[in-house]
Amino acid sequence: MTRHLAETDLALYASGDLPFYRSPLVTLHVRSCDVCRGLVEALRADREELRRSADEMPANVPKNFDWDQLAAEMTANIRVGLAAGECVTPRERKVAPISWRPAAIAAGVVVLLAGAWWLNIPRADTETIGHALRTMATGGRMSVPQEGPVVKASSAGVVLVENGGQMGIDQGALEPVMYSVSTQGSASARYVDDAGQVTITATYVQ
Amino acid sequence: MSNKIYVALAAASAIGLHAQALNHKIDFPKDSPVSLLSADFGNSNVTARGANVIEVNAALSLRNSGQRRIRSMTLMVSAPDAAGKGSVSVPTLDAGPGETFSIHIGTRLVRPLAAGNPVVEVTLDGILFDDLSFYGPDLLHSQRTMIAWELEAQRDRKYFKTLLETAGAEGLRKGMLSSLARQADRSQTGVQMVRSRATNIDAEPEAQFAFLEIPESPVEASNGRARIGASLAGAPQFEVRNRSNRAVQHLEIGWIVKDQQGREFLAASMPADMKLAPNQSGQVTQDAALRFDRPISIQSMSGFVSSVEFADGSQWIPSRGALDQPRLRQLVAPSPEEQRLSQIYSRKGLPALVDELKKF
Repeated sequence: MTRHLAETDLALYASGDLPFYRSPLVTLHVRSCDVCRGLVEALRADREELRRSADEMPANVPKNFDWDQLAAEMTANIRVGLAAGECVTPRERKVAPISWRPAAIAAGVVVLLAGAWWLNIPRADTETIGHALRTMATGGRMSVPQEGPVVKASSAGVVLVENGGQMGIDQGALEPVMYSVSTQGSASARYVDDAGQVTITATYVQ
Repeated sequence: MSNKIYVALAAASAIGLHAQALNHKIDFPKDSPVSLLSADFGNSNVTARGANVIEVNAALSLRNSGQRRIRSMTLMVSAPDAAGKGSVSVPTLDAGPGETFSIHIGTRLVRPLAAGNPVVEVTLDGILFDDLSFYGPDLLHSQRTMIAWELEAQRDRKYFKTLLETAGAEGLRKGMLSSLARQADRSQTGVQMVRSRATNIDAEPEAQFAFLEIPESPVEASNGRARIGASLAGAPQFEVRNRSNRAVQHLEIGWIVKDQQGREFLAASMPADMKLAPNQSGQVTQDAALRFDRPISIQSMSGFVSSVEFADGSQWIPSRGALDQPRLRQLVAPSPEEQRLSQIYSRKGLPALVDELKKF
């Protein structure tokens, strides 16, 4: 099996650019190898075709046209294009080093605001806002505000929620021993104190 | 710069937390058989926390200035312009003429800031005497409830007195231990009541509910049904028949719900004002829905007649024998009087309970 030469060597050989010390070996191989010889002939035919195309330049291109000057102008244009492209490309911003003092002040303000919120805003309002934010974050639909009054009975006592207001009735630190609601719109809770006195609190929708 | 921010925010917080003194009003009728000795609103205040938060912690000292023994009393708590009312009742009193007693009122009102200067009013709604006579405007329909408490108290005192007479102190002790165990085993869950039109209850499937038979009940309930959804039950309907020979004007049904674990609890009371002549039937439909605080998959529902009021104002309540059937025993709350007696036994022991039962 005949081992063929590399195509790059054949291309250099066809154009006469192969180093002189390698040329004899390639010449010997091309003479004896039909495949490589065919490739060299094809490369030479292509070069001839290119030369003919170059000779057919537009008539207004003078024969003594300065091709080096054209190359320099094209290079300059490419540089201008690259510079213009850089102007419209978003630049990476340099991150300024963070000073600890503004960060500490911001943290302090956040803590103070959180404390003020906790002390001033009723828990029910916070829960409502939290629920709404969670619903929005999870892509859920905001529930329509409840129409009409609601009475609630639980281990926390009884509460009536109506028209944006609330009324809860309790017995201070005591927990109810039982609680219930009525379908006519009331909730009640029963408390027993240490002395055995039973107190029943209730809220009513009017 | 940062110091200025701190000072400004601290000042804002201080302004926001500024507590105002509570404006309150206690109004008893001039001919009231109870007079106010003193009112201590010590820790009560109004705080602007995004809304007006009105904390009422009041201790009222009262005297029976009438001639009859007072068994229970209800005070109404309200704030002008605030929707709804509240009440505080003491159902197990035994205050003779000239005797004093106290009532604690703990109330938390939250109202929009725009609602103006808040005022809390405490007024008398009703007083029930030992002969079941009643005094008061009864704006909250307290009379019916207070009579039921008194009938339950009489029933339960009689039961424990009989236990003491027939089985001695040991029998009373066992009865008290049984009562305390029943109170401890009774399961409850937080529940909300809303008008059913404020829910989508109409889209939920309808389920039947059975009624527990109480042979002595003057009213028979049947054909119960309600719509049930996830942690929701509502729009109950049922039929009733007056099987007594007396006209009925009001009745109450206990609504029992069983959850996915097979636990039953008394979810709500369903009162109904309806006039039923002897042997007459009627239909009750209620525009209400219950929402439970914990996730509940309702497996089944049932009900029982818990009280009936006749046209003359007298009432029927189930006897202890009727309530002793296994299902009801775990569900129905002990009466306020039974709870008071069991508290005396727990705190002071059997001799104190025996002394208490001998009082009346």
